[in-house]
Amino acid sequence: MPGLAQTLFITASGAGMNLRPHHFILWALFIAGMLLMPELVGRGTLRTMVFACYLAIFAISWDILSGRTGYISFGHPFLVGIGAYTTAILTRRYGFPVEASIPIAVLVTMFGGLIVLLPALRIKGSYFALVTLAVMELMYQLVPVVRPDLTGGTRGISRLPALTRGAENGYYLAVCLMLAVALFAWLLMRTRLGTALWAIGQNEESVRGSGLSTTRLKSFAFLVSAAIAGLGGAFYAHYLGTITPRAFFDINVLFQIIVAVLIGGAGTILGPIIGAFFMVFLLEWLRPFLPGQERFFVYGAIALLIYMYQPKGIMAIIESGITRLRGART
Amino acid sequence: MNALEIRNLVKRFGGLTATNDLSFDLAQGESLGLIGPNGAGKTTVFSQIMGELKQTSGTITFMGREISGLSTPDRIARGISRTYQVPRPFTDLSVRENIRVGLMPDSLRAMIFGTVDRAREDEIAHSVGFATTDLDRPASELAMGDLRKLEFARTLATGAKVLLLDEVFAGLTTGEIAMIAELIQDLRGRGFTFLMVSHDLPAMEPLIDRAIAIERGTLLADGSFKDVLANAEVRASYLGEA
Ligand SMILES: Nc1ncnc2c1ncn2[C@@H]1O[C@H](COP(=O)(O)OP(=O)(O)O)[C@@H](O)[C@H]1O
Ligand SMILES: [Mg+2]
Repeated sequence: MPGLAQTLFITASGAGMNLRPHHFILWALFIAGMLLMPELVGRGTLRTMVFACYLAIFAISWDILSGRTGYISFGHPFLVGIGAYTTAILTRRYGFPVEASIPIAVLVTMFGGLIVLLPALRIKGSYFALVTLAVMELMYQLVPVVRPDLTGGTRGISRLPALTRGAENGYYLAVCLMLAVALFAWLLMRTRLGTALWAIGQNEESVRGSGLSTTRLKSFAFLVSAAIAGLGGAFYAHYLGTITPRAFFDINVLFQIIVAVLIGGAGTILGPIIGAFFMVFLLEWLRPFLPGQERFFVYGAIALLIYMYQPKGIMAIIESGITRLRGART
Repeated sequence: MNALEIRNLVKRFGGLTATNDLSFDLAQGESLGLIGPNGAGKTTVFSQIMGELKQTSGTITFMGREISGLSTPDRIARGISRTYQVPRPFTDLSVRENIRVGLMPDSLRAMIFGTVDRAREDEIAHSVGFATTDLDRPASELAMGDLRKLEFARTLATGAKVLLLDEVFAGLTTGEIAMIAELIQDLRGRGFTFLMVSHDLPAMEPLIDRAIAIERGTLLADGSFKDVLANAEVRASYLGEA
């Protein structure tokens, strides 16, 4: 099953990797470690890990569209925000149960993204990036002023119903959601559709010249990406309990998502997850020394260093490390 | 029946007329050579036939239907496909996956739920001269000769029976040229239709039934290869330059 290995671990050489046992071992260790974590670490760390899980979900969502097709989205916080606000408004203002509000939030995110961002997918990559950025900024300005009775204005919406009780259950929910999203993305990306999306990122003209309607492919990738962003955003909102425009429609949120993918490794599943955990924990450790926004500068510098060392990210560094280890043994 | 009927095709880039009132036919099963000096407008004709460039005026009829309103993928679905003069591989994908992109049907459902036809991928790769050991190599590692073969393979994989070949021999060794020529002969025997551009006239001669010559987008001659080359205008423009 080369498709499987390629989906998970597209590396520096990129193609033709065969499935190796260490891929399974890595995943098994990772999942076991995640599930044992509450036994090993304190509440604070667990909370940090929850943030990392949600960031990983957003990163996977971003990677499905931008990491594969090369259409860089600056609008993912906007998508996450629609998911969060929809479930918040439905539960707090209209008394919907979460079983209904979360699926609706996913649909609204897909639909909202469709109207606002999809037209931009027809134009070239750099314009797409600009349009998505403009939309996010627009939302930040609009949400507080349009219908503040619904959105809560700049103060946002608080006392959202919780989905779980206790820190551990909140953690397990986040981990399971992240793993479910990762599994779904992995299954989808190992199909021929995944190959086609990856091909668009390398030469879109040539994909059309191979007989494939790239607009349809990009739209589909966009809808899947939006659905995951909306789903993650909705769950995240209930975990937080309080949402504000600042927490979503913010350039720092965008920055975290993109950098997580880039340093972890675009076009892989494990890459964005590793990148998200790396980012969140780095930020956490830097907090005592650099409490303000300047942390993001350090962040950017580290991302840049990793990028200069290995443009395909941490995943590729791990891959080549394992290859070297095996070489040394035999 | 004619596979292609080009009538009064005009393409202007600003002040430059790259295709100038061009008309010609390509019969089904025929192999037609398109010759002309650099910049004569050969590639531009291909791009218009495939819908990658919109013609300024004129009509393009494929299998009896005017296709000017169709998208490139729709034209390919009807059975016409091209290679690019400058190969456009998917560099991070393997040789096999590059061919897979050509083989995929243009349907999301089929792409997601359908299975990969590895046997067919192998067959196409071998037919253009790839060895089994090449199949998992990323396209970024290929030399020019292999990129041409890959370009041909991906075009063939679309399933089109009418193929437009743009400079398929450029950058190939004598051995590779012979191999591709043999493949073209084989495909001709199986009813494929060709419109090909090549600067290597001796290599192209045995592969075509007829030739047309253009200069500055204008048709100079249409007939047998020998007659076209004997044409005074063609000699002046084309052979004079070379
Ligand atoms: N996209 C374009 N924009 C402007 N001019 C172009 C474009 N494509 C081709 N041309 C011009 O059209 C003419 C024909 O080019 P081309 O079809 O590539 O010639 P050939 O393939 O015969 O060498 C050239 O003068 C070229 O510079
Ligand atoms: Mg040309």
